[in-house]
Amino acid sequence: MMRGHDTGPAMTPAQRVGRAILVAVALGALLAPWIAPHRAGDQLTDRAYAPPTRVRVHDAAGFHAPFFYPQTLTDRLRRQFGVDTATRVPLVIGRGALLQSSAGDQPLLLLGADSLGRDVFSRVALGARWSLGVTLLGALGALLIGAMFGAFAAVAGGRADAWLMRFADFVLVLPAVYLVLVLRALLPAVLSTADVFLLMALLFALAAWPHVARGVRAIVAVELRRDYAEAARAAGAGRWRVVAHVLPATRGFLAAEMILLVPALLSAEAAVSYLGLGFPEPTPSWGTMLQEAANVRVLTEAPWMLAPAAALFIVVFALQLAGARASTRAVFFDSLASHASDPS
Amino acid sequence: MWKRLLQLVLFVAILGALAWYFEGPREAGSGIGGRLVASQRTEPDSYNRLVSPIYPVELISRLTSAPLIRVNHVSGALEPALATEWAASSDGLTFTLKLRQGVTFSDGTPFTSADVLFSFRALYDRKVASAIASGMMINDKPLVARALDDHTVAITFPAPYGPGLSILDSLPILPRHTLEAALDSGDFGNVWGLNTPPADIVGLGPFVVAEYQPGQRMRFVRNLHYWGKDSAGRALPYLDELVLEFIPDQNAEMLRLQAGSLDLVTDEIRAEDYAALERASAEHKVQLVDAGVSVDPTGLWFNLKPGAPSVKGRAWLQRDELRHAISLAVDRQKIVDTVFLGAAEPAYGPVTRGYGPWFVPSLPHASFDPARAKALLESIGLKDRDGDGQLEDASGKPARIAVITRKGSTLLEHTMASVQEQLGRIGLGVDIVALERGELIRRIVGGDYEAAYYGAPVLSLDPANNSDLWLSSGNFHFWNPGQTSPATPWEKQIDDLMHAQSESMDMARRVALFADVQRVFAEHEPMVFFAAPKVTVAMSARVTGAEPAVVQPQVLWKPETLAVTGAAIR
Repeated sequence: MMRGHDTGPAMTPAQRVGRAILVAVALGALLAPWIAPHRAGDQLTDRAYAPPTRVRVHDAAGFHAPFFYPQTLTDRLRRQFGVDTATRVPLVIGRGALLQSSAGDQPLLLLGADSLGRDVFSRVALGARWSLGVTLLGALGALLIGAMFGAFAAVAGGRADAWLMRFADFVLVLPAVYLVLVLRALLPAVLSTADVFLLMALLFALAAWPHVARGVRAIVAVELRRDYAEAARAAGAGRWRVVAHVLPATRGFLAAEMILLVPALLSAEAAVSYLGLGFPEPTPSWGTMLQEAANVRVLTEAPWMLAPAAALFIVVFALQLAGARASTRAVFFDSLASHASDPS
Repeated sequence: MWKRLLQLVLFVAILGALAWYFEGPREAGSGIGGRLVASQRTEPDSYNRLVSPIYPVELISRLTSAPLIRVNHVSGALEPALATEWAASSDGLTFTLKLRQGVTFSDGTPFTSADVLFSFRALYDRKVASAIASGMMINDKPLVARALDDHTVAITFPAPYGPGLSILDSLPILPRHTLEAALDSGDFGNVWGLNTPPADIVGLGPFVVAEYQPGQRMRFVRNLHYWGKDSAGRALPYLDELVLEFIPDQNAEMLRLQAGSLDLVTDEIRAEDYAALERASAEHKVQLVDAGVSVDPTGLWFNLKPGAPSVKGRAWLQRDELRHAISLAVDRQKIVDTVFLGAAEPAYGPVTRGYGPWFVPSLPHASFDPARAKALLESIGLKDRDGDGQLEDASGKPARIAVITRKGSTLLEHTMASVQEQLGRIGLGVDIVALERGELIRRIVGGDYEAAYYGAPVLSLDPANNSDLWLSSGNFHFWNPGQTSPATPWEKQIDDLMHAQSESMDMARRVALFADVQRVFAEHEPMVFFAAPKVTVAMSARVTGAEPAVVQPQVLWKPETLAVTGAAIR
């Protein structure tokens, strides 16, 4: 069966950049244990709120191998640190991390330290695995459930379609905050990181599918009336076989939904953490890190604690670049969906 | 013409009289009065102090009720409140108190000795099961109040009591005329809930409740019938209005204080906020007062109730060795430096340097020694059996403890995160379960927990007045409260020592006996303490008349002399 949707221009430079960033982020997340100079829970002595260590290759004496100046705590209560420019601490490759300080008492803090003296860079790198993992799993789950539900509603049509869409609306208007609170109260007090990961992914999938279902239903409903679908039916294809041919038409929409869902779920991870269903300490995640950094004082006094926000921005931006084509197509399908969304 | 002029003069005179009545007899331009906005992180659950154990209710009680005698939080001296003078009998057991004449409740009903008797009756009524009754007992026996006439009462102690009448500071005098019917019908526990119309909350305190908006604020206005006067004979309180804003988020609280939309923070401030507040202080926006070392450090305790379901099958959770090991494995100085940014002292017991003469600096305490901690844990069967760096118990299950604490309190959560990291180094796993305050209290009261990191404000520096914590029968004997008889020999020993010290009239002997109490406590460490923060009180530069103290409520213990200068916050 020939379809015209898949033909289009070759990948644009922006898309290439976006995909390259995403590959880099994915690699970074996978290799985080070998990249992070410290373990996620390591609380470094006298480094609470320490600013980032600046890596240098040049000083008054000329060029050197990468090094940094040691930080010294000058006023603990006011969180002031000084730099000893008389000493160079060379960076070394290896020692359990890609890049590491050569002096044990002078930790390398590429993105500074948090309120407990934990290395923000290591936590961002290690947290990417949990945050991106749970987000991607949740988004994929939402797409899968939503696509199946929407397609079924479109094919079923009539009263079943109307009821299914009303059910999707019902899920949309459920007060998510209270549901999470109730769910948390029903669960054991202590949840392992793996439990939280699976629960959160499930929660995201179950909360986000209705949007997907509505769009998929609209697209499938329109596609089923098109000539190629009619031709397939005339040729004797069964209802579900026709659907199998129609479903690829939702790819652009699903790609756009993915691009929208990932940042939304990344932010939701922070909200869910606050409601008690977040990753337990000391497991790092971008959401829990952002939760700690969510105050004006951090903006003015320890802006490096907002590094997870920057990481989140980079991922979302890369997704937007990589999915620009899909988004453009999704606009068309969104428009189509809005005309055909009323099942009656 | 003259008639009109006369009418105008009369009209102006009436307006002036009304204005004077509602504003009170103030001196023009004295700068006294105004509206003070204070923050409170947790909401009260009742207006009834007798039935609610939580601190916000105590705070409201201090604003709307009055005791017979008040303890000055700064000097520790007794001050006349509803009782103007008192005398002790020769045996020191009976005190005769003269009540203030001409005092009326906020609804205008005269205050008499019948109200005092009623308050004691409600306090000790079994059906009421008052949350503060155990703290108002001496050797587990109640005080007996008798009325000698309308304005004289005799209060008899069941045994000699070292702190004397300071015990009366905790008891708000309640209106018999509005609450007696509820007490008689057995419904006293349900009266003065938060759904009670504010006009029905009648008291003898400097303020009356004017409005309560759940989740937002409680507004108090001046009690026009308040009996207090300042040294110049002016009517107290100075403030026209006092607002408690419920702000659970400490970041929002600090921002509002710095922005000038808050006059007073009623709880402790975090060390991390100090630098910003210091800058605001330099700009004369905020005043910071160093009140001393905290007297209510937070402690880690385990559920030691025999047979507690939450520790079933893991007897090691109730062993002394576990708590000693934790005490040894945690570097307290690291917590002081990291969590409190140096604005704290290492704490080894509930009695800190802030307790003055009751503090024993020479008390033996655990020094940081992870190797000894591991040996102690091994002695109770916790060792690394599979070489994964984590300890397992005799059955091979990972040795992990779930510690509940309060969500949203940076200091509590960060301290536990530090403890978690340090105990992780010796292989002992800690799961931090941060809960909303209500859920936390429910679990603690119901015994549905393994371990908790929390605390309660100490309202008196005299240990005999804090018997709730020390005595095995006390409601705040956190690890195993309300025991009918001491569950362990060492708790019996502490009970006996506490009884002896509270009965003694010799201060030196009391201090010595209490030092022994602390030694027994340190031997068994039913609670493990890590740090005692230095208390800094933060308030707007516009607030005057405050006498900050280390004991809570640090400023609002004397709300009647507070005033706000300049434009009020709206």
